[in-house]
Amino acid sequence: MHIPDGYLGPATCGVFYAVMLPIWTVASKIVKKTLKAKQVPILAIGAAFSFVIMMFNVPIPGGTTGHAVGGALVAILLGPWAACIAITVALVIQALLFGDGGITAIGANCFNMAFVLPFVGYYIYRAISYNAPIDSNRRVIAAGVGGYIGINVAAFLAGIEFGLQPLLYHTASGQALYCPYGLKAAVPAMLGGHMLVFGWVEAIVTALVIKYLLKTAPELLGPSPSLRNK
Amino acid sequence: MKKKSNFIRRSLISALSFLKDSVFAEEYTSRNGFLQGIDPRLKVASFALFFITAIFLKRAELLILLYGLCLLLALFSKINLGWFLKRTWLFIPVFSLLIVIPALFDIFTPGETLFTLNILRAKLVISRQGFFGARLFVMRVIVSVSFAVLLSITTKHFALLKTFRIFGIPQVFVMTMGMCYRYIYLFLKVVEDTYLAIKSRVGTRLDYKKGQHIVAWNISALWNRSYHLGEDVYGAMLSRGYTAEPVILDDFKTKSRDWLWLFFVVIFFVIILYIDRRVL
Repeated sequence: MHIPDGYLGPATCGVFYAVMLPIWTVASKIVKKTLKAKQVPILAIGAAFSFVIMMFNVPIPGGTTGHAVGGALVAILLGPWAACIAITVALVIQALLFGDGGITAIGANCFNMAFVLPFVGYYIYRAISYNAPIDSNRRVIAAGVGGYIGINVAAFLAGIEFGLQPLLYHTASGQALYCPYGLKAAVPAMLGGHMLVFGWVEAIVTALVIKYLLKTAPELLGPSPSLRNK
Repeated sequence: MKKKSNFIRRSLISALSFLKDSVFAEEYTSRNGFLQGIDPRLKVASFALFFITAIFLKRAELLILLYGLCLLLALFSKINLGWFLKRTWLFIPVFSLLIVIPALFDIFTPGETLFTLNILRAKLVISRQGFFGARLFVMRVIVSVSFAVLLSITTKHFALLKTFRIFGIPQVFVMTMGMCYRYIYLFLKVVEDTYLAIKSRVGTRLDYKKGQHIVAWNISALWNRSYHLGEDVYGAMLSRGYTAEPVILDDFKTKSRDWLWLFFVVIFFVIILYIDRRVL
């Protein structure tokens, strides 16, 4: 899901930085307004948590493993705007300090994984678990569905971003300058892997983590903490 | 029937290799090399120009020249070239090299015929556009990844995060990044210890369903611990004089050599983009 440098052209990268700028501004204003002084470290903890989730190898049938992004999970735990900041911080650290995900593609990666994924995942979770008691199984199912749909929408958008490159950037003879695959190849490739494998990993991890938290620490999923209401 | 699952071993390997890479990077940042001596703020600005150059160039020959400059800078910065090549080629460029293979053929990239391969009576045509497009794509990826890694292994990570201030990013973001960076190591240690404990008690032979429950339990336990840790951290911040307005200490010093370096990079940037646009 992390788009590396060199896959997207300069204008595409620029557009996504421009799109993310107001989102980051709104996110920081909302979080600053709603975050109690005592909760300041929770943003950094949320960011580190998003970073570390991606390092958990999840076993899947066939003896292999995959990993979750955890975007919907972080949004359910922190609220979508705080999750946007936390995941952005994790993505920037990954790209800048550990070479995972492109530096020029930070805007696009943040749009897919720090904005679309947590927001889609969170609002699907909210819609399905609407009025459900705190110990209801509906919350577990809602979290799984949110995780699955959130990551697939993000993968679909990443596929479109890849697929637009040969249309936007090519030489007169038709040579691609960036990602060489058009929409017909890039979208099914991105969606196929996520709908069949990684989406399920995301759904299982999100649902099971919420299930365990409901059992062991339901206060962390309570109905109205300041951050989650926004 | 229980299937052998290596998720515990793989999680341990990824946590350990992450920590090992960080130790190596920290060792390189402490060396007395060329890039280590440049003011981090000007270094970030100059590397931003390298990233922009890499993304704008349309000629693979100029990307090769840029790659040569990157390797030269790595040498002058006392980086072990073998380690650097291994660190930069694995994983993203090798992955890019593999995924670009179908784009060589005229099924995906129609155009003039460059080579024709006969495999099991099937005729596969490599198009000129496909071949040169793939070459440009892989070169662009390796150049960008190499510069990103070079920046991170020649600049102290904490200093690198502090340079965000020159781009006008609010201090609360810079502070969050700094704190997050510290927490990552703490969390990785927790993950490593937990997996070692599981491995020593139940081994690695677990069916995948049980494994998924173990992973989810680990993540939820990590969040539970972290959430409560947040309150302790806030208490520690207050005891050190935190007044809800984060202050980042600025201890950067710029020398004339740093400005000379930036001047060289700007000139290089202008010339290489001029050649790229003029020749194409």
